[in-house]
Amino acid sequence: MDQAFELPDSTDWLETPLSLLAPFESSLRCQVCKDFFNNPVITSCSHTFCSLCIRRCLSAEGKCPACRSSDQELKLRRNWAVQELVDAFQLARPSVLNLARSENARLARGEEEIEKPAQKKRKIKQAEEKELQVPETDSQGRRTRSGRSINSSAEERIVPHIMPEVIEDSQDDEEYMPEDGLVACPICFRKMKEEAVFPHLSIHQQEEEAPVKPPTKPASFGSLKGPSQRGPALPNKQPERLPAINYSILKDNSLRKKLRDLGIPDWGQKQLLQRRHTEWMNLWNANCDSKYPKSKRILLQELEVWERTQGGHAVTPSAFSTSSNVMRKDFDANEWSNNHDDDFKRLIANARKKSEAQVRSTIPGASPSSSEQREPQPQHPARIPANGARIEFNPDTDANHVVDLSG
Amino acid sequence: MASSVAQKRLFHEYKNLSTNPPEGITAGPVSEDDMFYWEALIQGPEETPFEGGVFAAELKFPRDYPLSPPTMKFIGGGVWHPNVYPNGTVCISILHPPGDDPNHYEHASERWSPIQSVEKILISVMSMLAEPNDESPANVEAAKMWRERRAEYEQKVRDEVKKGLGL
Repeated sequence: MDQAFELPDSTDWLETPLSLLAPFESSLRCQVCKDFFNNPVITSCSHTFCSLCIRRCLSAEGKCPACRSSDQELKLRRNWAVQELVDAFQLARPSVLNLARSENARLARGEEEIEKPAQKKRKIKQAEEKELQVPETDSQGRRTRSGRSINSSAEERIVPHIMPEVIEDSQDDEEYMPEDGLVACPICFRKMKEEAVFPHLSIHQQEEEAPVKPPTKPASFGSLKGPSQRGPALPNKQPERLPAINYSILKDNSLRKKLRDLGIPDWGQKQLLQRRHTEWMNLWNANCDSKYPKSKRILLQELEVWERTQGGHAVTPSAFSTSSNVMRKDFDANEWSNNHDDDFKRLIANARKKSEAQVRSTIPGASPSSSEQREPQPQHPARIPANGARIEFNPDTDANHVVDLSG
Repeated sequence: MASSVAQKRLFHEYKNLSTNPPEGITAGPVSEDDMFYWEALIQGPEETPFEGGVFAAELKFPRDYPLSPPTMKFIGGGVWHPNVYPNGTVCISILHPPGDDPNHYEHASERWSPIQSVEKILISVMSMLAEPNDESPANVEAAKMWRERRAEYEQKVRDEVKKGLGL
């Protein structure tokens, strides 16, 4: 587990001259998992999260983690623009970070700043000129072609302007450099003569129209036109989303059968079955938001990881690890009351001694004011503040369970 | 790798806290083999009776972190404060999940949500040391003293701080 410091993180920028990229990178990361957005979706309150992260939050709490307004899974919408930002940034990140770090190292070595940058500039200029020539003649010659070609030539023209800023002298990205007169297809990166590129691109266009498996190199150039072209084509090959289940109306066995039908493990008590089904539903539906959905086998492996870390194979039973679980939607009241039966009985007995009426005070109307409902706390007679103000309630103590039970 | 969401997220937070720590705060897992158990050191905020003190606390994270908040407990005792239980457990709104508001005094916006973080918790605890919230007294005696006999309260805090530093 010592790869903690190998995890790419926004703080990687802090020690470089590009420290201002740290907040930029943070904003491309999901606030729940702190990773780059993975299949970002937008909530009805306009906050963006990874599809899986927000689904897990919503199934636990039903609220947006950022602003806490209520939301539903069904209202989540994919946020392609953010996905492309993330893809593009991740592609550029290593080289930019390298450049920033080597700049740092150079500054640290105290080299003169006059010579090298000048050299670099010349090199970049050359590259720029070299590249600019290629697409420019092309786009002029073929302006009358279909909109698609104009699009792609526009893309190519953008490239030379962007690339030189990113390139490091020795680490040029070969894909975009016209070596021996060949240029790379912006989609599949195969090298070919420049005249061949546009006819070749139409092959990709045909491929896209007829649903085939996704290209091996997803984001990069191809993604520039992703939203308009791939978006509408998706639903055809998308796996169907799983509907939510109202667990309370299902008997153990019918729930077990549902899990079996879905092809996921069906062992364990009902509470575990519920949690497993919820996790599976989240994994599955988040996968439906992906441009390149994973296979069921991979999803099953992810469920297996969940099983080991949070599910039935987890070391500590997570259900009772924190008091907050009492508030969870999938909280198993029966199991809880079985486990705490003795506590409840003792507390009830104590409370009865004090006052019969007060024990039942959580029934609406049984007590005249809500402040009195708070009074029956057998455990903390000493804690009543001198001024008679509202008593504090500690969710960790058993006092709370008296209320839970009678309510 | 079979690392869970929680572990990965805790790695991120750990890295963030070690490369860019907020002033007066240090925190990290006791051992990198168990990301769910952390220790933190908090400096007593300046211009408060806690000034000069360094307070150690343990943080325990649930397996479904960040859906559920961690718990935080000062270890070694010596934090005499209205919002800290005599056993050291910290009672502060950011550590309470939003559904769980037995006192009806906490704004939902102050409470735990998956977008909060260890860093925000520790910063909140630091400002809690400076400004107790006597609406939720975890330590009623301390709350009473803070409300009614402020000088005595501050003296007691200073004494505890000195004791904690071994003076």
